[in-house]
Amino acid sequence: MTATATPARRAAPARASRGLWRDALVRLTRNGPALLGMFFIVVFVLAAVLAPVISPYDPIAGSLANRLQAPGTAGHVLGTDLQGRDELTRILYGARISLQVGVISVLMGLAIGGTLGAIAGAFGGAVDNVIMRIVDVLLAIPGILLAIGIVAWLDRGLPQIMLAVGMTNAPIFARILRGSLLALRESDFVVAARSIGATPLRLLLRHMLPNALTSLIVAATLALATAIIDVAGLGFLGLGPPDPRTAEWGTMLTDSTKYLREAPYLIFFPGVAIVISAIGFNLLGDGLRESLDPRLRR
Amino acid sequence: MALLEVRDLVVRFRTHDGTIYAVNGITFDVEAGETLGLVGESGCGKSVTNLAIMRLLPKPAGRIERGRVTLDGVDLIALPESEIREMRGRDVAMIFQDPMTSLNPVLTIEEQMVETIVAHRAATRADARKRAVELLGMVGIPHPETRLRSYPHQFSGGMRQRVMIAMALALEPKLLIADEPTTALDVTIQAQVLELLKDLTARLGTAVILITHDLGVVAGMAERINVMYAGFIVETAPTPDLFARPSHPYTVGLLHSIPRVDAAEGGELVPIEGVPPDQRRAPVGCPFAPRCAWRVEACWADNPPLVPLEPVSRLVATGPGATHQIACHNPPLPDEARTGRPTRPGFVAAPPPGAVIDELAVATPDVEATLVEFPTTDAREERR
Repeated sequence: MTATATPARRAAPARASRGLWRDALVRLTRNGPALLGMFFIVVFVLAAVLAPVISPYDPIAGSLANRLQAPGTAGHVLGTDLQGRDELTRILYGARISLQVGVISVLMGLAIGGTLGAIAGAFGGAVDNVIMRIVDVLLAIPGILLAIGIVAWLDRGLPQIMLAVGMTNAPIFARILRGSLLALRESDFVVAARSIGATPLRLLLRHMLPNALTSLIVAATLALATAIIDVAGLGFLGLGPPDPRTAEWGTMLTDSTKYLREAPYLIFFPGVAIVISAIGFNLLGDGLRESLDPRLRR
Repeated sequence: MALLEVRDLVVRFRTHDGTIYAVNGITFDVEAGETLGLVGESGCGKSVTNLAIMRLLPKPAGRIERGRVTLDGVDLIALPESEIREMRGRDVAMIFQDPMTSLNPVLTIEEQMVETIVAHRAATRADARKRAVELLGMVGIPHPETRLRSYPHQFSGGMRQRVMIAMALALEPKLLIADEPTTALDVTIQAQVLELLKDLTARLGTAVILITHDLGVVAGMAERINVMYAGFIVETAPTPDLFARPSHPYTVGLLHSIPRVDAAEGGELVPIEGVPPDQRRAPVGCPFAPRCAWRVEACWADNPPLVPLEPVSRLVATGPGATHQIACHNPPLPDEARTGRPTRPGFVAAPPPGAVIDELAVATPDVEATLVEFPTTDAREERR
């Protein structure tokens, strides 16, 4: 048995690399929790994209005659809410808002925080000091409070929510990128690249940023999980989308709290949706962390 | 004029702890095609000297305070950043100690090598790639075509150091600085890498500064050796001369710290007592005096300059006929150098001047006072 297994095992390390990203993908597909995370995310994304296809109902208009139907009722797998709207439909449409706001806010955070962090890490000195003190101030304000402030200031609306959630992430991204760039600046291979005449721009773009990027990708994936929770949190606090009828998980939770006794499922299902999507991104983020770092290979 | 001329180089680091006197006015030459060994303990300024030559000192702490460094007549210290960058890789290249961390982990060997070649030469990527394959073959990497597409983590330490050598020699620099190139490698691999380095640099006519703490490594590689201690050059001589007639107490100490299999006489290990000086203090007197068995009173106050061991009519700075020079008030006699200890009848190392005695007393903890008694009855026994 061992005799047949040995040649195969010995042959494995000899194969040529198929590229850093390809290798990372291979490692990712061997990571159980990450696969589970990806499965959750696929379900979440499909729900968001295919909501109108899956569900025949309108997420906004319902019939009062149909209100508070228990889960399992014919035609309403997850029951109906206070206004007779199909709960499953609203959760599917809610995924659209969460996905949209989550992705765009994280991208905004990456754009703002990434730029600030790259400038601070690349220039160092006084520039670094000024930028990082601003970042410190932003970090000192609790994320949800900052978001509430921004929504209160700019009024309710989806773009405002995106900006609010993005701004809570930006200082975190700035910190991470700057930290990795500073560490990389003194690393052996950067000094080695300088010793063979690499220009500062090349050092930053080819040597430092790609090495710093992996930690940023991981942070962004994990931030998606937080963003989904933040969006729901804002909705729960009544700072969600301006139209109160919009299917948004956090708003759905608030709307149902008064009926906790009669219809606990109205809290349960949106809650599960939030938890599953957040866990999905968390598991994937951890998996990415392990697979993107070639030095962590097992 | 020598290829590299270093004159009175002074490098200091400004840190939160104060100033570190890393290199304290050293002068040496390297001739084209020559291999110079730079030997000394960790922290003696070997690496800092070479980072200073490359102008790669960590900013803003490290500063060249004084001195001149010229390569082929070009003043490297006065050169603007953009021009020194042009020279790095093309005229001077460097190999680092740890091959595991000196290659970029996210780029393939191809990307890293081609990038270097294209950056300096008006070559197309295809030409640069061809050259990279050739170079990898030259440093003895099997299947260079395929291996070029690999990432650093897919190479062993020895192979990575070969890649580093290939990259450093890609542009056929006039001077190669090898900073402890084999320290991180297995002994068997060390010999291979050194042999390769020797062979390639001889073939390309590259001058080499070989930094090491291992006298065995320089013995086989370097034509000439500078022994450094606490930022000073304390002895310089052609390699055979240095081993035949070590004349500075520190060199003698270094040689007696290495176990020798073939030791017929004086084979006993004589460790150098104490630790290197704290370089946060401005050097006063000979830096080696506190550890030296041959010290005389003058050593505490006056740092001797580097002078010829024997009177010469003309000082030769480079090559196999270079003048043997030492910086010492009381050099060991040849007999003493062999045994590693002063044997002159009645000789006692000069005690440090008053102030230093107090300091030593403070530094030596009182053993009696720190005795702690531990009860011998063990808790478990009591419970029984």
